[in-house]
Amino acid sequence: MRRFLFSQTSCSLLRRQRRPKDIPHRWFLSSASFSTAEYDDGDAFQSSPSKVKIFDRHLKRTQRDRAAWLLRPNDSFVHAVAENLVDRLEDCKKTFPTALCLGGSLQAVRQMLRGRGAIQKFIMMDTSYDMLKLCKSSQLDSDNENIETSYVVGDEEFLPIKERSVDLVISCLGLHWTNDLPGAMIQCKLALKPDGLFLAAILGGETLKELRMACTVAQMEREGGISPRVSPLAQACDLYMFSLISVAHMVRDAGNLLTRAGFALPGVDVDEYVVRYKSALDLIEHLRAMGETNALLQRTNILKRETALATAAIYDSMFAAKDGTIPATFQVIYMTGWREHPSQQKSKRRGSATISFKDIQKQFGNGS
Amino acid sequence: MVRLSKRLLKEAGTGVNKTLSEILVCPLSKQALRVCEEPPSLISDSIGVSFPIKDGIPCLVPTDGKILDTDDTMKHDNAADDSANNK
Repeated sequence: MRRFLFSQTSCSLLRRQRRPKDIPHRWFLSSASFSTAEYDDGDAFQSSPSKVKIFDRHLKRTQRDRAAWLLRPNDSFVHAVAENLVDRLEDCKKTFPTALCLGGSLQAVRQMLRGRGAIQKFIMMDTSYDMLKLCKSSQLDSDNENIETSYVVGDEEFLPIKERSVDLVISCLGLHWTNDLPGAMIQCKLALKPDGLFLAAILGGETLKELRMACTVAQMEREGGISPRVSPLAQACDLYMFSLISVAHMVRDAGNLLTRAGFALPGVDVDEYVVRYKSALDLIEHLRAMGETNALLQRTNILKRETALATAAIYDSMFAAKDGTIPATFQVIYMTGWREHPSQQKSKRRGSATISFKDIQKQFGNGS
Repeated sequence: MVRLSKRLLKEAGTGVNKTLSEILVCPLSKQALRVCEEPPSLISDSIGVSFPIKDGIPCLVPTDGKILDTDDTMKHDNAADDSANNK
């Protein structure tokens, strides 16, 4: 039942954020199969991946190639996220000899490791060859010298990793661009050894809300308004650089995703980072450097210069602080999950309790 | 310096290092890959696709793969030969 509901939610999410006039009727029919319920048998890669293509993976790859050249060595936002993610390794007693790091901010994750998790073999995977080249050529820190690092160009949707072969999968700010997030997570789970850890940080739906608001207003102003049939949010998404139709729109969804992918002991938490920029154009430059610009399949390719400038101006007037900087919110959802192992704690079977809750109440709560 | 040259030698030998050759599989069929020395590539026999290795970095994105000619596969692999005959 829950599965059914879930596919309903994701469907309505998509509907809200897309321009309905562009979507052929067939699309709605196929969106029913967006739920990866049929993957639950664990053969995610055997059956065909989700038929609905939301993101242009090829474009994303090109954008990440570009990001490799624009990458900022000391990007405080990316470093904060990577630090937060990698820090979780310290909470585990377990060590992780073999670790797989998926695309997104590879470089930052490697810098932040600093010997945590006692990783011996580190495999870095990205869709962009240039990005890996950059990682390969950059100087290794002294802390990471003993780690044997390998590089693979690969797609998270088609993970080229053998089953039960790695102890840890880290994905820092990359998975939100996959068309089939549950499928990608199932593949990560399969790649893990039993009792292996999956750590991921993805951007949530609240990300860049200011930019989206400014875009909508600018478009209404410059391009003669938005017809009432069309969702403003979708317009803003189409129009500008960044959009998120992440399946994990909310924390609860992220939790569901983990459970559905079959991870044991799932944990989800959310952080909001507010980054301050000198102007909206600086924000766009930063998004480019992170490779986080719009990669929707149904995007509008042409952004009118006038509209872009109006967006920057509106952003400034709506959100600017006293010192002239503008804030941008990034909502990061952190997900943690383990591959099942007999040693992990489990809840008991339903109905196996021997003591009634009423008795417990009598014992401890004196009428309160 | 020694370490660097060692690493270079290792990569020059097989195209991919030991760790990778142990854990990498075909992204589509999840079956084992075979290393091809010349040109450096990883070949998935189950689907007859070769994935290039560029500068020691294997490229396993499905769109990077090249579908092998049947003649080529027959020369290299008996299993592929059989399947071609069965057709």
